[in-house]
Amino acid sequence: MRHLNATGFLVFGLVLIAVPLQAANEYELRLFMLFLIYGLIAAGLNVLVGLSGLVSLGQAGFFALGSYTAAILATRLHFDVVACCISAAVVCSLFGALLAYPSVRVRGVYLAVVTIAFGIIVENVAIEWQSLTGGTTGLTSIPRPNLFGIKLSGFAFYWVLAGALFVAVLLIHHLRYSRYGRAMLAVAQSETAARALGINPTAIRTLSFAVASVTAGIAGALYAFLNSYISPDIFTFSDSVRFLLMVILGGAGSTFGGVIGAYILTYLPEYLQQFQVWQRFAYGALLLLVMFVMPLGIVGTLRSLFDRLRPPDPAPASSEGVPAEKSLHHEARELPAELVAGDLTVRFGGLMALSKVSLRVKGGEIHALIGPNGAGKSTFVNTVSGFYQPNEGWFELDGIGLTARRSYDVARLGLARTFQNTELFGDLSVLDNVMVGYHQRLRYGLAGALLRTPRMRHDERECRAAAIGLLDFVGLLPQANDTARHLPFGLQRRLEIARALATKPRLLLLDEPAAGLTSQEIDDLEAMIRRIASLGISVLLIEHHVDLIMALADTVTVLDYGQVIASDTPATVQNDPRVIEAYFGTSLSHARPQEARA
Amino acid sequence: MTSRIGVGAGLAAVTMMSLLSAVAVAEQMPCIGNSSATTGPAAFGGQAIKMGAEIAIEEINGKGGVLGKKLSFIQYDDAGAPPRGVDNTRRIALADKCIAILGGYHSTVAVAQAEPVNDIGIPYVGVLAANTKAIENGRNPNFMFRVSAKDKWVARYLVDQALKASKSGKVAFFYENTGWGNGAIADVKDAMAKKGKELAAAETFNWGDQDMSPQVIRARDAGADVALFWALDREGNQILRSMDKVGWKPTIIGAWGIAGNLGELAGPLANGVEVIQTYTFMGSMDAKKLALWDKVKAKYGLKDPAEIKMGSGVANAYDAVHIIARAIEKAQSYDWEKVRQALYTVDYDGLVAEYKPAFDASDPERQDAILPKYYKLTVWVDGKLLPIEQTAYGKTN
Amino acid sequence: MTTTIQYILSGLAIGGIYALVALGFHIMWSAAKAVNFAHGDTLMLGAVVAVIGVDQGVPMPLACLLGIAAGGIFGILLERFAVRPFVGAATSVGWMLTTLAVGVMTEALATLQFGGFSRPLPSPGVAGAVHILGAGVYPQELFIPVFAVAVVIGLKLLQRHTLVGRAMQAVAHNKQAAALMGINVNRITALSFGLASLFGAAAGILVAPVIQVSASMGAILGLKGFAVAIIGGITSAPGVVIAGFAFGVMEKFVEGYVSTAAREIVGFSVMILVLLAFPQGLFGKREVLKV
Repeated sequence: MRHLNATGFLVFGLVLIAVPLQAANEYELRLFMLFLIYGLIAAGLNVLVGLSGLVSLGQAGFFALGSYTAAILATRLHFDVVACCISAAVVCSLFGALLAYPSVRVRGVYLAVVTIAFGIIVENVAIEWQSLTGGTTGLTSIPRPNLFGIKLSGFAFYWVLAGALFVAVLLIHHLRYSRYGRAMLAVAQSETAARALGINPTAIRTLSFAVASVTAGIAGALYAFLNSYISPDIFTFSDSVRFLLMVILGGAGSTFGGVIGAYILTYLPEYLQQFQVWQRFAYGALLLLVMFVMPLGIVGTLRSLFDRLRPPDPAPASSEGVPAEKSLHHEARELPAELVAGDLTVRFGGLMALSKVSLRVKGGEIHALIGPNGAGKSTFVNTVSGFYQPNEGWFELDGIGLTARRSYDVARLGLARTFQNTELFGDLSVLDNVMVGYHQRLRYGLAGALLRTPRMRHDERECRAAAIGLLDFVGLLPQANDTARHLPFGLQRRLEIARALATKPRLLLLDEPAAGLTSQEIDDLEAMIRRIASLGISVLLIEHHVDLIMALADTVTVLDYGQVIASDTPATVQNDPRVIEAYFGTSLSHARPQEARA
Repeated sequence: MTSRIGVGAGLAAVTMMSLLSAVAVAEQMPCIGNSSATTGPAAFGGQAIKMGAEIAIEEINGKGGVLGKKLSFIQYDDAGAPPRGVDNTRRIALADKCIAILGGYHSTVAVAQAEPVNDIGIPYVGVLAANTKAIENGRNPNFMFRVSAKDKWVARYLVDQALKASKSGKVAFFYENTGWGNGAIADVKDAMAKKGKELAAAETFNWGDQDMSPQVIRARDAGADVALFWALDREGNQILRSMDKVGWKPTIIGAWGIAGNLGELAGPLANGVEVIQTYTFMGSMDAKKLALWDKVKAKYGLKDPAEIKMGSGVANAYDAVHIIARAIEKAQSYDWEKVRQALYTVDYDGLVAEYKPAFDASDPERQDAILPKYYKLTVWVDGKLLPIEQTAYGKTN
Repeated sequence: MTTTIQYILSGLAIGGIYALVALGFHIMWSAAKAVNFAHGDTLMLGAVVAVIGVDQGVPMPLACLLGIAAGGIFGILLERFAVRPFVGAATSVGWMLTTLAVGVMTEALATLQFGGFSRPLPSPGVAGAVHILGAGVYPQELFIPVFAVAVVIGLKLLQRHTLVGRAMQAVAHNKQAAALMGINVNRITALSFGLASLFGAAAGILVAPVIQVSASMGAILGLKGFAVAIIGGITSAPGVVIAGFAFGVMEKFVEGYVSTAAREIVGFSVMILVLLAFPQGLFGKREVLKV
């Protein structure tokens, strides 16, 4: 795989070298240079669209910001190409981070409209701020590009552009196959699950916005030098649409997709000229055609064809992994974690979901939380895992207060959870799902990821080995390369457990893990939970399945109408008249409930 | 695993790329290129240029072409977008290797083109866009020429007319917020200053603006009784309507952006609005004009002269092509620099003006061929834009 | 004083158009959680068809009806072929781009039809200005906000008193539940797009005599209409209409006291700020996070 990656980049590099040698004239070379610039924008936008799943229709705004920054600095302060590009990158990353902020609260179309608004605002500021931007007339006579005082001729500047694109695609490729790329994909597919694994979605989104805006900004700076003239109408809404189309056409999320899309859309107008007055119509028709025929883009379509033809990759061998017992081993001095909640109260409007709930999960025990539907179990789980904020009360893990913390903080402090309705990263492979869980334990930073430092590679190998070990632990190793969404339901539940374990939790919160499982699967689950507990991980089990609880739990707590009505050993609780009443509505001593259902 | 396929596809695409960029090498031939808007809101401008240029080239080829070879005309669409105009310029010069380039409708495009034109060193002759600085760009040698109106001269001409018409001496200026409008504001202020006056109001607006009442109210309250327009038909019409709404009726004189279909849009409100042009097919025609009209009529299937929305563009392009052809003959070469030199020596009795010579190398202002004395004032009367001297307005003015 | 009234009246006229466009977005969004991103072109289409009708000698009122009908059919076809195949995908990029593509094609056709020019649509409503406290306004402009309010009331009545209207509300509330109740969700969605486009085309025809008809007339109206829908809260019909009026009046005051170019800067900045403070818009319903 690494071999083929290298070949891909080798060929890409060779093409960049070969093209100027065979360009028939300066015009063709220039057109190719224009493609390199658009390629840069598309490669960056691909991170935002293809990995983070966010749509930006305002990239022309960043392109403009970079362009104007470079043009103004080059004209007034005689900055060289590199200084201009760095300045443009700084300015654009600031605005990119600013624009990422709304994504905390809005997604989808709303976010797209925010980016459209951003593009229009930039365009109009460029029109209005005449003294700086030259207004509608724009900036003319931008100096020829020079590098450290050396003038760059047409060919020399070509090498700068080609080098910039090559490096950008390579770095983004590295980012894609690092903890950051995985986290972006994870956040895009299930933000909830990503948070529960300790990933801060806002930080990850901000990162992808920053990548997209920095590349567009640098592209803008290079464009200003290439064109030596810029004006506001270079950076319109329809340009933003074109940039987005490059990514979609080439294939969102693939290494070379953006570049291929940029190539086609740079050369397309040349060919559309022959349609004369019909060329706008032809462009629209083509756009429509792409969306219908190749919604996955060129690379995506080719990939799915290949996937259908070739045999699947063999699953990794058990020997490649580090056994779970080893990778989850806590230091001897660390005691199993104790979760204590005191007087937790949660209200939704007038509805009291939890009322002064106090609960103690002793270190190392398997603690079951039961109660009829609507008793407040889910609210309790969501509150202690940081998804809901309690109105009153507190909770802590081993004395560390968790009350006001965000979900990803709670996860980082050692509380992992699964979900009642499984929340897998459906489009990722089974192995990748578990590796996302390992995110917080990888310590290498952004620079390490971009440069693929030895440390980063070492950490990644470790992460992969641990993930393989965990898959082995839950018995999913043969499916390691399958797409998560294609797993049968029972296996999806196991994958969630493996993924949660990858965070190396001290307390594992299982939210109805047996729901929908066959009795054979439930037996397997029982064994698995025992083994987890034997690793020194405390377990809080939310379940309906009485047999399972009776077999596993050290302590059972019963919730009804948001209140704790009993908390004791299974045998005691089972005979508690209040519990029986809660489940059957009468105090009649019917035959003991075999399976409590409300 | 996914990345391997990504790489495989990358390989295929990259190979395809290198193949594609090798195609499309144009053969060299005596041609005149043009980048203008043939799509979008100013498509009529590109159409007018095409008509004028093609008819002139047909005439030239009928007499044996230039230096024994037939001339051809290549038109590319820039949709009014400067980057596309710049790309087209390079394509015409470097890929098609034409002898000269005709300019298009949009001033922003013309300003952007000045850079590559002078870098490459190919003669460019503007035939519509009037922005002063596009041609007077301070370059020497300057490859930018124009056979069209120039805003600096238009401004002086219009300011003269405005001050003649004004009782209070207060003139308001309405200009579109584009390269054309913003380029003109300096010219108009300058022309006013030459007369010892200042503009009473200078109001701007964007393309597509629907309501101009704030601007109109300010201009009215400034006491102006004449309004100068640097606007296109649509926005010109919206200004007229806003004036109607707030009950202000100044004399209106405009640059030629409102020479298209203002009469149809504004109806009776347009009556009396004066527009400067370099040429018009409207009103009574002399023999020369009639001959051209017959050719246009036959070649493009038109019925009424009113169907030509930018008569000035047709005539300017026609004259420009004839001037270029004469320059090629004089230079005895297709060489860009030789043709540029020869342009300064061409004498030609054209449709719009008598060019004697067409350009003057000693005067940077005379990269423009059409002198203000050839500008024509026309006026909207009942939906038709007629030469002012042929209407009732000409008599009172 | 007169100036202030002038700005308010002009602002209400243009705001009425924003309100009508935003209402279209509201109706489409309620049904499909997707919209026609080029809804502005529906306005243009209605007006262009009406002008072509007048050119062909069709009587004026009939030409306008033709334009409105064309808009409705356009909306239904668009929903069926450009929106429905992409609804429910992980991102909204699919239907955004397909509807934009249809917009590009429609605009290209209109440009070919009119050669890039604006064309007038005659109307008795712009024959002469009326004066209110010294401010001048065309009767047509006064009618637009009235029409916008009438449409909201009509929409409410439709939703309350007709079977189709109740079905629309059910679909907006919960698609699956509506389908279980025997409602044909696809048909209701198509109908909603048709209805939104009917209003869109009507808005285009209403505003045409004031702003003239051209291929590009809808683009910016569509974008601002969407901004208004988001400010007002796309789930609330009265909300978007109020936001439309407020947005229109605000624009006039910015134009009057700051500058024309500042208008878009202020307008779209307001939209972003509102969205940050009220992610569901000023009058929209808040959605509860479910884990």
